[in-house]
Amino acid sequence: MWTLENLAAGAVHLGLVMYAVFGGADFGGGIWTALASGPRVREQRDGLFHAIGPVWETNHIWLIFVVVTLFTAFSKGFAALFTTLLVPLVIALIGINFRGAAFAFRHFGRQTGEHIPFMASTFAVSSILTPFALGMAVTSIATGKIVFVNGWVQAEPWFWVGPFTLVGGVVGMAICAYLAPIYMTVRTGGELQRDFRRQGIIAGLVLGILTTVEIPVAMVDAPLFAGRLLASQGAPFVAMSVISGITTQILLWRCRFLWAQIAAAGTVTLTITGFAAAMYPDLLIGQLSLAAAAAPPATLRAFFSVLVIGVIILVPSLLLLYWTFRGEPNPELPR
Amino acid sequence: MDNVLSARALMGISLGFHIIYATIGIGLPLMLMIAEWLSLSTGDDLYHKLARRWIRPAGVLFAIGAVSGTILSFELGLLWPRFMAFGGPLIGLPFSMEGFAFFTEAIFLALYIYGEQRLSRRMLFFCTIPITVAAAASAVFVISANAWMNTPAGFRLVNGALSDVHPFQALANPAWAHEAVHGTLAAYVATGFAMAGVYAATLLRGQSSDYNKRALTMALAVASVSLPLMLATGDWAAMILADQQKPKMAAMEALFTTTRGAPLFIGGWPDPASGKVLYGLRIPKLLSILAHRDSDALVEGLDAFPPGTIPDPRLVHPFFDLMVASFFIMLAAAVWFWWLRWRRREVPLDKWPLRALLFASPFGMIALESGWLVTEFGRQPWIARDHMRVAEGVTPQTGISLVLITFLVVYLALTAGLLKLLMRPASAGEGTETTQEERHVDP
Repeated sequence: MWTLENLAAGAVHLGLVMYAVFGGADFGGGIWTALASGPRVREQRDGLFHAIGPVWETNHIWLIFVVVTLFTAFSKGFAALFTTLLVPLVIALIGINFRGAAFAFRHFGRQTGEHIPFMASTFAVSSILTPFALGMAVTSIATGKIVFVNGWVQAEPWFWVGPFTLVGGVVGMAICAYLAPIYMTVRTGGELQRDFRRQGIIAGLVLGILTTVEIPVAMVDAPLFAGRLLASQGAPFVAMSVISGITTQILLWRCRFLWAQIAAAGTVTLTITGFAAAMYPDLLIGQLSLAAAAAPPATLRAFFSVLVIGVIILVPSLLLLYWTFRGEPNPELPR
Repeated sequence: MDNVLSARALMGISLGFHIIYATIGIGLPLMLMIAEWLSLSTGDDLYHKLARRWIRPAGVLFAIGAVSGTILSFELGLLWPRFMAFGGPLIGLPFSMEGFAFFTEAIFLALYIYGEQRLSRRMLFFCTIPITVAAAASAVFVISANAWMNTPAGFRLVNGALSDVHPFQALANPAWAHEAVHGTLAAYVATGFAMAGVYAATLLRGQSSDYNKRALTMALAVASVSLPLMLATGDWAAMILADQQKPKMAAMEALFTTTRGAPLFIGGWPDPASGKVLYGLRIPKLLSILAHRDSDALVEGLDAFPPGTIPDPRLVHPFFDLMVASFFIMLAAAVWFWWLRWRRREVPLDKWPLRALLFASPFGMIALESGWLVTEFGRQPWIARDHMRVAEGVTPQTGISLVLITFLVVYLALTAGLLKLLMRPASAGEGTETTQEERHVDP
């Protein structure tokens, strides 16, 4: 159980969860920029915009952490994934690029109003596109359609487009759209807080429906994954994520926003953990185990020694960052 | 275009683009740190204002650096999966370390940029220290991965499979030290000259406020301190290269035939067909002296190595000369400026020395990019020297030329957007705030 490759897989999983819980919320901010409605559209958008400002780059780095950990610790698996998932990953990259650039341009170029609508729509569209493409890419490793022939990876050109991965892409979007408004309830007050509460409850329902739908879809389109998900290795996480999701809805309903924020992050964490548990012990389901994909033990040991030092530096720094920018977002521009 | 060429072009364009932003991400934090320290220690608020004026461009450039860096980390897998399957266990470690350093830099940069209202002045200065250190560290780490491709170390190959893997030996591979020192210092030179150029332009427009003079002096001081170190580390790099990477050395110096008392060619076009350097300036014995400190030393030419294992000197020698020429252009401009500054005890505002600085300002970046091209073209045809060819490392996926075109459009759009943002003329009615890039100017 506590083998080096399992620990390394834990690090990848942790990175993915952190990216979803923090970076996902930033994409969700972009999604709700597009979906903002009601009399306070402008306030909603501005609130999201100012909340994302100081943290999005830091949050984005979790993705780089996932990629780097993958190629360090699971070089063979990384090569297989990035060979077969070329198209969805290129789409995600384009989205990441335009999202980041549009945000930075808009943020630092705000003194003249002319660019804002175009930059805002680029920001919104790429915030929708990226989690969708990443959701498809991640769920496609559970389809079993990536296979090894003579030691090298192969897959049909469009294998990553199917019912299971399409729902997976939408789940990716829904996770982001779920977190952003719930996080915003803690950082706002009055009418605006009620807007975000309503958005959070709606997104929670959507996420619940989508993840429920994904299970029968998986039985047809990703049977091995579905089998493991409903067996003893995945089922407890499914149950816990359902409980956590319902708890979040109740907390939101009763306006216990701080707890709702934690419960929402817990729901997303448990959902992703359920996915990972059903993948175990494989990196590519049924085709490439974690052990077979792993780098030599010396590399894994070196990676962990670096990881420990990194954590010692990063954790206090991150706490300082989030502590400094807690509470209501500052509307002022940096000067 | 075939797959290998498309993949190389895409990787090259992505790196060439990223290097500009990464360089500023290394150089600018040092300026911030020095300015904040001067402000704290002298009690002069002007230095603090100076630093705060830089954060707007810093924020945009750092964001683009982050996303273009993400593109690169993906492209390692999208374009070179077979190389990563082989080299990942060895070069993954420096990339992980770089990731942590970059993470630290992002956290403290966010604190510094957005924390003006929430942090004390002392705390703001404190934030610039981890930004500067982490930025330099990330350069040093990521260069280790590049150095490994030049001098692969820390493993043995048994029947084509890795064995006896020592990731820390791979990290500290033979080319690491000189590449890392030379490359990181280059970032300070490039950023310093780019910023000095911006302020020289401002002074040339007649806006000779104390603020602009100090900014120019500071930026040029950082660059000028690093400049002689570039010469020293460059010489060191050349001596190690002459020992460790002989084919690259031969291509850099356009030395076709192994020679005792080898001459140095300045400029000229290496012609592989005739094995001669056309139109170049030939200085007898100088290459032997530079490479081995002995005027009669033997220097291996390109003919000393089997055909198909050597780089094309036409892609290496001109960039090497461009790098060296850039150094002398910057040196001349800097010496002129400091000479006048020393004689008059104040910043000279004469047209010609400032114009010289303006002219020299892009050459730090040009030198850095051409130095990088020398390293990369000089390693060809290998992706990991003597172990894996570039063509063996490329993805089996077809249609990479389409990906190349897609990303070309992305980069063009990004550059256009950035230029539009940074070059936009100051809008009226903003009072003292002008919103040009580093062109912030006091009224």
